[in-house]
Amino acid sequence: MALNGDDKDFDWEPPTEAEMKVIQARRDRQDKISKLMGDYLLKGFRMLGECCDVCGTILLQDKQHKNYCVSCQELDSDVDKDNPVLPFFSCFFFRVLPSALNAQAALSQVRERQLAAQSTAPSQAPELNGGPSSSSQASVLVPLPRPEHCEGAAAGGRALLPPPAIPSPAPLPPTPALAPPRPPVVPQNPPLQSMLQEAEEAVLIKLRWATNQLQSSASLESSIQLCSLITSCANSLRSLKELSQ
Amino acid sequence: MCAVQSVGMLPVEHLHLEHVLQTVCVLESVVCRSFGPEGGQVLFTQDTGQAMLSRSGARILTALRLEHPLARMVVECVLKHSTETGDGSKTFIILMASLLRIIHTTACREPHVSRTHTSKAAAETASARHLADKMLAFASEELDDLIAAAVVPYGCCLSWEELSAKSQAHSNNPCVQNLLASFFQSRVGPTHCDLMSNLTCELLTNWKFKNDSPSSSLHFIRDNLAALHTPVSGFPISFSRLVEGQVIHRDFAAPCPRADLQPVKAVVLTGYLQPKLLRAGEVLELGRGEQSEERNIMDFSAWGERSLECVLANLQSLGVSVLLSAVKQSAAVLALATQAEMSIVECVSEDELSLFQRLSGATPVRDCRVIEPEHVATLTFCRPILLGAHRYVHVAFHDTEEKITVKPCSLVLCGLGEGQTDQFACALKDAMRMLLSTWDPIGITAAPFKQCVLEPGCVLPAGGTFELLLNNALLQHGSSCSISDHTNKGVPAVSQLLAKALLSVPRQIYYHSPRRLLQTQTRLLSLTKNHLSIAHNKILTQSHREDGTLTEPCRGEVLMSGSGLESVSCKSQVLLAALQCVSSLLRVDAVLRTHTALHTQSHRRTNISWAGTEDEAED
Repeated sequence: MALNGDDKDFDWEPPTEAEMKVIQARRDRQDKISKLMGDYLLKGFRMLGECCDVCGTILLQDKQHKNYCVSCQELDSDVDKDNPVLPFFSCFFFRVLPSALNAQAALSQVRERQLAAQSTAPSQAPELNGGPSSSSQASVLVPLPRPEHCEGAAAGGRALLPPPAIPSPAPLPPTPALAPPRPPVVPQNPPLQSMLQEAEEAVLIKLRWATNQLQSSASLESSIQLCSLITSCANSLRSLKELSQ
Repeated sequence: MCAVQSVGMLPVEHLHLEHVLQTVCVLESVVCRSFGPEGGQVLFTQDTGQAMLSRSGARILTALRLEHPLARMVVECVLKHSTETGDGSKTFIILMASLLRIIHTTACREPHVSRTHTSKAAAETASARHLADKMLAFASEELDDLIAAAVVPYGCCLSWEELSAKSQAHSNNPCVQNLLASFFQSRVGPTHCDLMSNLTCELLTNWKFKNDSPSSSLHFIRDNLAALHTPVSGFPISFSRLVEGQVIHRDFAAPCPRADLQPVKAVVLTGYLQPKLLRAGEVLELGRGEQSEERNIMDFSAWGERSLECVLANLQSLGVSVLLSAVKQSAAVLALATQAEMSIVECVSEDELSLFQRLSGATPVRDCRVIEPEHVATLTFCRPILLGAHRYVHVAFHDTEEKITVKPCSLVLCGLGEGQTDQFACALKDAMRMLLSTWDPIGITAAPFKQCVLEPGCVLPAGGTFELLLNNALLQHGSSCSISDHTNKGVPAVSQLLAKALLSVPRQIYYHSPRRLLQTQTRLLSLTKNHLSIAHNKILTQSHREDGTLTEPCRGEVLMSGSGLESVSCKSQVLLAALQCVSSLLRVDAVLRTHTALHTQSHRRTNISWAGTEDEAED
């Protein structure tokens, strides 16, 4: 449904496939931004008369008078991902967020859920309780970064994996059936030293496995996951060593 | 709006099409979740604990905190439109957003290069402006006729005279109850829509002035609605009812009249019975009388009391036992009235007094020294009525001339909480406005000599029928224009763009079931195809009918069975208003930033003050 005429003044060509895709992507992004902004407005945010310097989107202001740009701080597909230091917003924002804003956020959420699932995977030493092993996992569970944290915080939070104070359960690869038994924290067990040694061995095995996988890994996301696995293995080893001393 | 305070250069921001589009799209995303029969309600809460429940686009938009000047401009337009038509605020925003999107796409594809522009963005904006103006011009000139020819035949005209026939409510014949029921369904939900529409129809029936056009009685009800209904919170809506006579929203200041006294005579006072002669800052000079004794203040107040007693004695001689006062009377008046066994109701609002005056036929007392029988109103009773937590005055009128034609009644509207009651009361107000704009249609063309083509009471089945039919008509009009007139290539494009923009409304309505959209569209298309060849003459005869009644089964009947109704006049006004707003928005070139507070409370119409005081403290 093209408008006729007027082409004598300038030569217009129909957009190419690639340009159409870009236009479509831009339109989708704008729709997403509008929807998010509408959500925030209904939550009591104020729509300011100013635009963001970076992307030109209309700025919102929360009740604490902090300015917020929806596209820069939530849909930042263009902003560098390496920056781990991101502003931490007031807790008001945490209840808000929609899921899967873009592919990266979706993947990071999947990762979080996998981590959460794996930490509750039954891997209790069978000699402790005959029954289901998940009962004492609660004591071993460490607070993982919650999926509700915004994508930026999750990106930054990759560096902040569970604190090494407790022997953290090493995030297992998705084969829970083969998971080696993990030492529980509760100290009424057989000698600590042998448990720690077993734990160390298990962690080292996993570390080796992760390294092998990393060498052959082709996808970005799995590489990131493997690196985080290696980091947590290293942390576990460090804390095991501290415990044994 | 506010004075320029800083001397020197003000920061100027040039508006691009993207900004305008984004602003309106954000507002659209806010309202579209409440749009349509499956739309939800928005619950607004304040820190003070007040809650507001609403599905009305105008209320939702007013409650948002918007500082962006374009957004505020759009909300103002929506408010003004809603004050006139009572309906269609969400449709307004959705149409605006889709018009802007289409204009944006078209303008970016082929910017107007008849003048040199500083940048591509400026060229796009200029081209968009031009396109919007063309669309508005097209709509102002040709849309009315298109609607009359291609949309109205599929609807029908509701008869105002059949309003009281309750049996019609469940039959297949379209009637005012159906129109109201579908309106209330979009405002208060499907549970209570029938109850509300029955109550409203009863109210309208009682207030029907015989030998008068529907629009004049609708005008009367709309103007006096505040005095004609009482919102009561704390009861379920099924407790709502009509009470005979008028409810004055004040309590008795002096004890109530004796119940056995009938008929009750009342007098309306607009001023003070005991004039306030001693006010702060004034000097009262007491003159010397003929006997050269000095007057003192005690004599003066004694004299004042004596004259007051005379007035009350005069009232007693006329048999008056109730005084309705527009102002607060002094304590002496109250004391003397109690002694004389008269009741006083103070601080009655002006509209209630004018309604009382109209119904009772008595003129209000201006000068208390002159009280004639013409000032005395005769009431059947005047007693307190307890509605919820408040006690009001309930009066019923003796048979007067007016009463033969009209049965005065007042609607007691109950709701469980304040938010819900408020929602029902606003829905009632908007329903009256909607009915008025249906029976008093203003055509799209503002030409003074051209008669409005729309018949009063013209309605269509709800559910996007108007938009789909008009879309079809515009596409056909566009193609027929391009066939006949090859040189004028602008016009078909404009009608096609408008047609495309109109489709956004049914898409939103059937957002959750695209299949139903396709079914409706197919059905309408087949109907139009079947009747296109036969019915051309029929259209001409039907649209020129003199009386507004349903004379022959028209195509509209095919579509009517069981569906809701909506007013054609409201729909066409929404479309025109959206086009006007879009073209005004696109004419904005630049935004000047000033340093003063911008917020004015003048346009905030909500009863609960949703604009917090922190808004005022902005620098």
